[in-house]
Amino acid sequence: MGDKNEVWQGTLALMVLRTLETMGPQHGYGLARRIEQTSGDKLQLNYGTVYPALLKLEQEGYIRSKWGASENNRKAKFYELTNAGRRHVRKAAQEWEQTTEIVARFLASAEEA
Amino acid sequence: MRRLRAMFLRLMGAAGRGRDDFDEELASHLEMHIDDGLRAGLSAEEARRQALIRLGGVEQARQSYRERRLLPGIERLLRDLRYALRTLGRHPAVTAIAILSVGLGIGANATIFSMVSRFVLRPAPVGDPATLLSLHIAEKGEQCCNPFSLPIYHDLRDQGSSFTRMGAFYELIPSSLSGVGEPERVWGQGVTTNFFDTLELPMMMGRGFAENEDRAPVVVLSERLWQRRFQRDAGIVGETVHLSGQQFTVIGVAPGSFHSVDQVLDTEFWVPLGMTGELVPNLPPSDARDYHWLQVVARLKPGVTRAQAAAELNALAQRFALNHPATDRDNLFVFEQAGSLPPRMRSAVLLFLAMLGLVVLLLLAIAGMNVANLLFAQVAGRQRELAMHLALGASRGRLRGKLLLESVLLGVGGGVLGLVLSVWATGALSTFHLPAPVPLDVRISDDWRTLLYTFVLSVLAGMVLGLGPAWAASRPKMANALKGEDGLSGGRRRFSVRSVLVVAQIAMSVTLLLLTGLFLRSLESAARIDIGFRPQGLAMLSVDPRLNGYMPAQTSQFLAQLRERAAALPGVDAAVWTDVAMLSGGNRSEGLTVVGRAAKDNNPATAELYMVTPGYFSTMGTPLLAGQDFHGERAGGPKTAVVNKAFADRLFSGESPIGQYVNDGRWTYRIIGVSGNAKSRTLGEATRPILYRSLDQSLTEDPSLMGYTLVVHTRGNPATLFEPLRRQVYALDPAMAIYNQETMEEHIRSAYFLPHLAAILFGVFGAIGLVLATTGLYGVMSYAVARRTREIGIRMGARRGTVEQLFLRQGAVLTVIAIALGWPAAWMVSRLVRSFLYGVEPHDATTFAVIPVVLAVVALAACWIPARRAALVDPAKTLRAE
Repeated sequence: MGDKNEVWQGTLALMVLRTLETMGPQHGYGLARRIEQTSGDKLQLNYGTVYPALLKLEQEGYIRSKWGASENNRKAKFYELTNAGRRHVRKAAQEWEQTTEIVARFLASAEEA
Repeated sequence: MRRLRAMFLRLMGAAGRGRDDFDEELASHLEMHIDDGLRAGLSAEEARRQALIRLGGVEQARQSYRERRLLPGIERLLRDLRYALRTLGRHPAVTAIAILSVGLGIGANATIFSMVSRFVLRPAPVGDPATLLSLHIAEKGEQCCNPFSLPIYHDLRDQGSSFTRMGAFYELIPSSLSGVGEPERVWGQGVTTNFFDTLELPMMMGRGFAENEDRAPVVVLSERLWQRRFQRDAGIVGETVHLSGQQFTVIGVAPGSFHSVDQVLDTEFWVPLGMTGELVPNLPPSDARDYHWLQVVARLKPGVTRAQAAAELNALAQRFALNHPATDRDNLFVFEQAGSLPPRMRSAVLLFLAMLGLVVLLLLAIAGMNVANLLFAQVAGRQRELAMHLALGASRGRLRGKLLLESVLLGVGGGVLGLVLSVWATGALSTFHLPAPVPLDVRISDDWRTLLYTFVLSVLAGMVLGLGPAWAASRPKMANALKGEDGLSGGRRRFSVRSVLVVAQIAMSVTLLLLTGLFLRSLESAARIDIGFRPQGLAMLSVDPRLNGYMPAQTSQFLAQLRERAAALPGVDAAVWTDVAMLSGGNRSEGLTVVGRAAKDNNPATAELYMVTPGYFSTMGTPLLAGQDFHGERAGGPKTAVVNKAFADRLFSGESPIGQYVNDGRWTYRIIGVSGNAKSRTLGEATRPILYRSLDQSLTEDPSLMGYTLVVHTRGNPATLFEPLRRQVYALDPAMAIYNQETMEEHIRSAYFLPHLAAILFGVFGAIGLVLATTGLYGVMSYAVARRTREIGIRMGARRGTVEQLFLRQGAVLTVIAIALGWPAAWMVSRLVRSFLYGVEPHDATTFAVIPVVLAVVALAACWIPARRAALVDPAKTLRAE
């Protein structure tokens, strides 16, 4: 990875869901910008990869979409969490925390050794 | 679950469904990004450039979005499918033979399965068939099953708590429907008023019976009767119809799909049980506990399991046995899901279907091996093409997939053909007339279960028969194959896969043909069965004046007048009455004892009871062996009887029964004559004792429920007599329904139903099996010849005869091995079909000796043609072929 981190698929989905959970309905462009902001601009997304990820989540029933107007009165497609998505985000976040915790322990013990 | 949902949406996407608004979304994304850029002070052009860079390219974004939208596999599958279809199209002969083989196999399977579906799987056409039960009484130590008496039904209905409703019905009421058009005999049932509610059978029109209508003259018609007799008259409800001369008001029309609860009897009207006595004489008294005459259906209460219901019925049976020891001591209650096969015929039908099912699977296996063989040969011919695919980087798995797809397509093609064949076959089988005195609905057709089964079977067949060739094809010896040499034949193995296939195929055909032979012999021997009378020149028709409200004296007069008129017709030399024609599947039977014999050696003998008028024996051509025929018996006089030889042998062990008296429990008969034996119920039966009574003496006290049959003899064509006979009937009473009108030879033909059906099915299956196996052998030999053409060319120094012998010997070895395998298999299997054979032992020597020889001859002929071709090879040409 370079200085601007690239985002791999699984985590992108979680970031999208989590962002939708905190911000409410949002369009693809807004989501992408928000994820970059949240990462403290450490992440730089390839915006073209955001849309297939959104489509996948929609196909899985975690989010739904409808057309609406953006803050600048542009026509935009807005995504929002479904109930299933809300449940999934909680579960996935937990799992992720566990994973990072385990990995962190390994890294810590490796340093000790 | 989530993945399934996503998969489904992607499938929809692949099929071009679901909206695709990604272009708009992309445009909106770019606009917003550019807006932001402008706000940050960039030039319009620079803002746009930045937005596109960050997007990673419009086309790339579109591409990755689309890939997610569709299943990437689908596109490839479609491509493979097109390729497979093209390949199949390039070898039309192989494709046609393969589809034809599989089609014949699948068609046979679909036809037999449609019988299974009809008789075993199809639930009764009632509401929620799973919770509707048919109840029976099983007597301890006796064969299942008996119907109920009215008091036992009432007790069960009132005391049982496992059921929401329980209805009872009297199974068959013959009746004459008159009014518009020619009078017709129709069959119905007498049912408790809660019958249709128990069945949860909604009426097409009108309503079912109300609780207080048990003795009301109301009737529910079936849609079929409504259509046939009343041209679907929309105003039928409220109209009056005449059943056996009595008026009934139509209150409803039941859907035509409902024939009866058991799905075999074919009834067309329903009257309240309380009215049944008006249509049927001599009904059992309704307070008698020991007259079993009612069928019972019950609706299981929601939440109650069948095991709980069975436990409660057991407890009730014990309680009844205590309270009514005289009548209920041995009674147990059993049930099965309503609409299943009636218990009395279940095992025979299941055995018959299992046997046929086995045979058609055998047939499909033979057909499948034929096709597998063809595919092996075809794959051998395509090695170069396949090796090229491999060389160019296709994976073996993908290659196998492609070849499997081809064989699955062949399977499905065969399935479609098979379905067409089975639609035709089920139609043909449905025209068989069953030899039964009561109306039966045994038509079969291809329903959705058959469709599903056929589809699964054809896909499976396609996969199984493609596996071997696909595997072989995906591992060729590359170097050889690319050079166009045989890359599949591994070294010089003595027995190739194809030879093994052919041996298995012929072995199965041997088994199949031996069974076929048995059934053909059975038909032949059935035709030689002595039925005990002469069917030529006899015409019959039946009437039942009782159904028109005739009193016994009137009936007697009507029959006498009609007999006189019939006898006077030109060409008629004899006319007699009987109640039911012989070989109608069964009539009355009673236990008879000899009067005046000590009880200990006076075991009752069950005898068939027939009513006849004087002249019956000479008209039927049944010889009178001793004594005399009936002559001028009077209704009130002492009863007389003629018995057949089997009866005399059974009860009098060789002594002359003439002048002796026998008793059937109600009446005593003096025996005045002995006749030759005759088949009573079915062709295959062991000879039964028969007692012929005088019709004139029995008609009053013990009328026939099946009506009376006029039998006339002519030297000419009996079929020409029907019109004049009908005119005589209508001249006496235009409202009299005529039924069972047929010549005796037609009647006998339907008695041959079972041997005929079995012989036809096995004949067809056997012939198909033989053709398939022969072509299989022919194919293998041709292939062997083609492969060894060069070798033959070199060996041509040898004489032609030697070459021919070489191949004949090879074919003979295969055939002999196959016969050695198939013959013992048939020997073992044939025991299972014993009960369906007429006068032929399952190990019939002729069949087991002749069939293998026939098969060997046919097989050698199939080898001889390619062998001959091998012998005629021109050495010069083959050597140049290199």
